[in-house]
Amino acid sequence: MALMAAVAALPDDVARVALDLPLRANLSALENIALIPLYQRHYSAAESARQAQAMLDQLGHADIALLRDPDMTPAQRFVTQLARALILKRPRLIIDRPGVMLYDVPYPAFIGQLAAQADMTGTWEIFDFNWNQVLYNQALHSE
Amino acid sequence: MNFLATSIESLGAKVTGWFTVGYAMLAFLVKAGLLLLDRTTWNRATFDVVVKQVYFTAVQILHVFLGYALVISWLIITIILSTARDFGLTAFASEMTIRVLVLELLPFLTALFVALRSGSAINTEVALMQVNNELEALAHCKVPPMQFEFLPRLIGGVVSVVMLAALAGLLALLMGYLSIYGTSAAGFEPYTRTIAKIFDFTIMAGLLVKCALFGLAVTLIPVTAGLETPKKLYMVPVSVLRGMMRVFFAIVTIEVVSLALKYV
Repeated sequence: MALMAAVAALPDDVARVALDLPLRANLSALENIALIPLYQRHYSAAESARQAQAMLDQLGHADIALLRDPDMTPAQRFVTQLARALILKRPRLIIDRPGVMLYDVPYPAFIGQLAAQADMTGTWEIFDFNWNQVLYNQALHSE
Repeated sequence: MNFLATSIESLGAKVTGWFTVGYAMLAFLVKAGLLLLDRTTWNRATFDVVVKQVYFTAVQILHVFLGYALVISWLIITIILSTARDFGLTAFASEMTIRVLVLELLPFLTALFVALRSGSAINTEVALMQVNNELEALAHCKVPPMQFEFLPRLIGGVVSVVMLAALAGLLALLMGYLSIYGTSAAGFEPYTRTIAKIFDFTIMAGLLVKCALFGLAVTLIPVTAGLETPKKLYMVPVSVLRGMMRVFFAIVTIEVVSLALKYV
């Protein structure tokens, strides 16, 4: 409960990837990401789609662009949510309890790979239960 | 005594509920109206979503709708003509046809058609968005749900109902002419004179306002009903049921008020 309260109290300059911030179900991965440049920075639809595709390319998941939320695997859904958070270009990125979203992959290693590919400025923080610490230790030792 | 108190409490709760729903709808409408006046609302992205909404609400169903309008118009015109002949009122047949079909029946049926097809879909989608937290996710990304999701649906609904009712009306006028005068051009002058006599400025303005209100009812009510949905998946069907009942009552009320203003 304390964890949830802490996440809810986060300031506006934090981008979150969390189970309680889902994708728009009737939009494709590309459209979900392109909404940000389209509405926040007023780019054209074509330019917004290009930026969204570039973000997916950067994360190594260009092939999921046309998938909608119900057709994605948990990992693909997580990548789309992460791309949407990254395109917000906020100084902090918080991944909130990744285990509940990434139940189909060894998630500390998966997030590590994405972070290496994304090559972003700013900090990524992971909020997780402390009993999962061992998973992160294993991922660090295997590298 | 206990029964009386329970009945009064229940009635009070219902009346309070109606007022709460009415207030929520009015507040939503005012917010949408203010956003419409805001220059920043009118960007390319919102315009694109409006066009998409008009396409899904009106263009996609055009062939089915026109077919349905054609059959209904032909049936009603045939009934009016044969009744007029029976009573020796053939001279009034064209006026009666136009008044019944173009001014009353077709706009009403158009609103029902759009409500059943798009209103129910909007209600379900907004309710699911509410239950799944999608609106909070949009707000977190600073994508305004009002501009992106709701306003385009309201505008799309109004434009679609007005345009579909206009098309159905034109089709009915053509059907009326063909049924009364056949392919002969002889009836063109009296028929157009009848049309001009009926469609004065007040009637045209009233028809436009009525269709716009129908369009608003079939979109605004489903959106607000969807937003009222508690965050429980099993409440989505209840939300759609409530929303569609309200849409039905709103459409009937608009039609009854319009008839009363015109004929009483």
